[in-house]
Amino acid sequence: MKQWIFPAAFLAVALALPMFADASRLNLAILVLMAAQLGVSWNIVGGYAGQVSLGHAAFFGLGAYTSTLLLVKFGVNPWFGILAGGAVAVALSLAFGWSCFRLKGHYFAMATIAVAELVQIFFTEWDYGGAAVGLSVPMHKTGWAWMNFASKLPYYWLALALLVITLAVNLWIERSWLGYYFRAIKDEPDAARSIGVNIARYKQVALSISAFFTALGGSLYAQKELFIDPGSVLATGLSIKMALVSILGGVGTLFGPLVGSVVLTSIEEFTRSMFGGTGRGTDIIIYAALIIFIAVFYPTGLVGWWRSLRWPRLRSAARKGERKGLGELA
Amino acid sequence: MSASILAQTLASGILIGLIYALVAIGLTMIFGVMDIVNFAHGEFLMLGMYSAFWLFTLYALDPIVTLPLTILMLFAFGVILYKLVISRIANASMLSQIFTTFGIMYLLRGVAQFLWKPDYRTIENSSVSGTVHFLGLQVGEPQVVAGVGAVLVTAAIWWFLNHTRLGAALEATASDKEAARLMGIDSHRMFALAWGIGAACAGAAGGLLATFFPIFPDVGSTFILLAFVVVNLGGFGSVTGAFIAGILVGVIEVMGGLLIGPQYKMAIVLMLFLGVLMFRPQGLMGKA
Amino acid sequence: MKWTIGARAAALACGLALAATAHAQQEVKIGVIYPLTGSSASVGGELRSALELAADIINNGAPGMPDLPFSHGKGLPNLKGAKIKLVFADHQASPQVGATEAERLITQEHVVAIVGAYNSAVTATASQVAERAGIPFLNPESSSATLTQRGFKWFFRTTPHDDLFVHNAFEFLAELEKKKGIKVGTIATLNENGLWGVETGKLQARLAPDFKYTIVKQISYPSKSTQLTSEVQSLKAANPNVVMQSSYTPDAILSMKTYKELGFSPDMILANDAGFADTEFIKTLGKDADYIISREAWALDLAKSKPLIKQVDDLFRSRYKIDFTGNSARTFTGLMVLADAINRAGSTEPEAIRKALVATNIPSSQLIMPWDGVKFDAQGQNTLGRGILVQIVGGQYHTVWPFNLATRDVTWPMPKWDQRK
Repeated sequence: MKQWIFPAAFLAVALALPMFADASRLNLAILVLMAAQLGVSWNIVGGYAGQVSLGHAAFFGLGAYTSTLLLVKFGVNPWFGILAGGAVAVALSLAFGWSCFRLKGHYFAMATIAVAELVQIFFTEWDYGGAAVGLSVPMHKTGWAWMNFASKLPYYWLALALLVITLAVNLWIERSWLGYYFRAIKDEPDAARSIGVNIARYKQVALSISAFFTALGGSLYAQKELFIDPGSVLATGLSIKMALVSILGGVGTLFGPLVGSVVLTSIEEFTRSMFGGTGRGTDIIIYAALIIFIAVFYPTGLVGWWRSLRWPRLRSAARKGERKGLGELA
Repeated sequence: MSASILAQTLASGILIGLIYALVAIGLTMIFGVMDIVNFAHGEFLMLGMYSAFWLFTLYALDPIVTLPLTILMLFAFGVILYKLVISRIANASMLSQIFTTFGIMYLLRGVAQFLWKPDYRTIENSSVSGTVHFLGLQVGEPQVVAGVGAVLVTAAIWWFLNHTRLGAALEATASDKEAARLMGIDSHRMFALAWGIGAACAGAAGGLLATFFPIFPDVGSTFILLAFVVVNLGGFGSVTGAFIAGILVGVIEVMGGLLIGPQYKMAIVLMLFLGVLMFRPQGLMGKA
Repeated sequence: MKWTIGARAAALACGLALAATAHAQQEVKIGVIYPLTGSSASVGGELRSALELAADIINNGAPGMPDLPFSHGKGLPNLKGAKIKLVFADHQASPQVGATEAERLITQEHVVAIVGAYNSAVTATASQVAERAGIPFLNPESSSATLTQRGFKWFFRTTPHDDLFVHNAFEFLAELEKKKGIKVGTIATLNENGLWGVETGKLQARLAPDFKYTIVKQISYPSKSTQLTSEVQSLKAANPNVVMQSSYTPDAILSMKTYKELGFSPDMILANDAGFADTEFIKTLGKDADYIISREAWALDLAKSKPLIKQVDDLFRSRYKIDFTGNSARTFTGLMVLADAINRAGSTEPEAIRKALVATNIPSSQLIMPWDGVKFDAQGQNTLGRGILVQIVGGQYHTVWPFNLATRDVTWPMPKWDQRK
């Protein structure tokens, strides 16, 4: 029961926030929610199934481009477009999984980077898709029917809803047989294989689910920012951020990405408004120092650290972050 | 497309490939010994470039002359970085290691921008400017010198690994850390050595590049992806592999750009990379 | 914990803002969004300096320049001498960050207008935020033509855009042929493959036939390259007489070095500003930069016909040790135009400022730009702007077109590499 205090408190704050926040603060909150949702999606395959993907921007961008292209070229409503985007991302994940799941560890991570870079190059050169010029979502079709709003508030509700849905899916996975297989793949692949678990199939399932939800996030981004180009939705930096949010908060934990997102986004915004105007790069230095600090001293993330405070015998394991130990803390 | 243009392009490809090779050798050594992918490797390159630049600008010392100094400074930097940060994550999960090196990457870029501003710098009129003509081909002198430099450093590394005791110890740690430890080889020292040499290689590449390439805080990002491809292609941990793969990638990138289109240069390299990963994941010369 | 610090800082800022607005007309806050870190940071720094100079002239005066608006330095006269306060924000060349910063400037800093953002993609998203919020957005330097094709009411752009600039290039070639009695021959284009380069390439392909020119090859390349051998070899194979090139600073430098290295020397390199106008370009290449012709927005030697240009540049140089470039000159001008509008509005109400911007009509004599003036059309585009063409000779930019403003004759063709001293 106690474990529901945090999520309940979070939900309460999230529901009440719009009453107190001005447009800029609300915007910030939306960024936090969106980054969290992407982190949760990544976490499904990266944290729970232990397949470290550094190319998730490909799925994000595919979602954004699919729904936007369908809208701009064929007038397809974004509510359908968003699902189409998810489908396209899943298709890519299938192609990718089939060819790359044999790869282990670093090789797999490198392959994901290569695929994402290729997708970015493709969209940079694809004239029909706007190439480097990008695509603009038209502003004249507004309202819930078209997922396009003048005020920030509806985006906030959408982002919150998407996050809750993604979390719910993640929760169900965690509690189900699927989660059990994922953990097996992550921690003891050989043992799992020996009892007949089809490793490749479940890796694929994890990747596909993750890809689907990442793509939904991409479409939401497109509808909110109203402009996408390869640099803003397909860059490798985005992939890093999605993984970073989970690592910061705690990979393989349900709310890790959420915690990570709140902290990371706040720090980013705060350091940029404080130091960004000077142009000296101080905000980047602070951001980087934080990443190093967490990765070195608290590899199980903030959630892991929190748990180690409450259960001291886990503290030393949290600090050392040994390879095997991570599985127990998930 | 005349034969002379093709030959010319091939020559350019080999020369830039040698630079890629030098950068990749450092990267592959670190991985071979410690199993860590150093995402901050491009920043060692960047620091090497700035080292050459400042020595040239402030003290009028030629970059070729200061190259040994640059190499030593980057070696020391690599060792210090190991002692301060990397040693703490030597046994951490792959994810922690990846993100620590990512953090170092951003940190070094941020510090470089803070200290030296984001402006583009160049070294002009060093001892190696101008063009070289041979066999009917025409290439830039800095590029040739850089290529020769890369070959020399690679040869030195190879000789070190195969003909010295220390090098043998390093190789031993790379193949089996525990066994090496049982033989009295201190892994800590080996790791520090690997980082030092790795940084020194990238620093050397940077010092050589600085004679003809613009220098700016984010310059590492231009080379890092190619370096990873080379390392993978050559086989994680193999110096010879990185050398051959570097030249191969350089040639493919440039020829591909010429024959198919410069906007696809990277795509061609990446597709080759994925192809190799699928059919021979251990790379050309890696351990299966 | 972090939210608390942020909240406290925000509360303090709000308090100060409230206190500031209590002395209603003392300070006019203008938000400025520019790339202060990241890939465009070196330009961003120069633009920042230009803005600071403009604000300083408005607030504290610039003696001896009666033609320059506000040079009396008593702030905005119609707002009881209110001073301009610039609030800087860094967009890091990211459209999303630009939009976020615009949001922050509008709702937390309560700026009355925004100036920005250099990178066209960021200007697109940041101005969208302003459009939705009903805050005037003045864009002094982004060249993508699409920015004034969105039907926005609150977006105003002082600089000419790519369509005009590409026109300028072809007009120049046509006039040059007439003047010198030559034929320029075939053209090849070399454009970086980002938004700017791609749009320019398309415009070039579209306009060349209108001017009866043949484009024998269009090359698109990634600005962030380790080498440009493939690109230059492709050019050599196409053997054009004129190369029209759009590159940023590092690739502009790298391409020139590669031209020399591979012995490629066409009759003319007609560059499209950006990297070729960067102070670093000539500094790096020295003599090797000579004879390049580039589209520019501004040149120092225009002071020959308009002394005001030199006066303001001297002031800039005395503080920042560098001359204006086309970019910084435009940014300077942008802030001046906005200040002029706010002053005529006599108020800080967004709608009043917007109406004043629509009615803008600044004569050429008050500008440091080679324009006929500043007057916005229904799309918010200044119709009186123009580009110029400069040729680098002896390490200096010399205006060579339009011919009536030129300070030097065009050197055609470009001397080959081995024929230069």
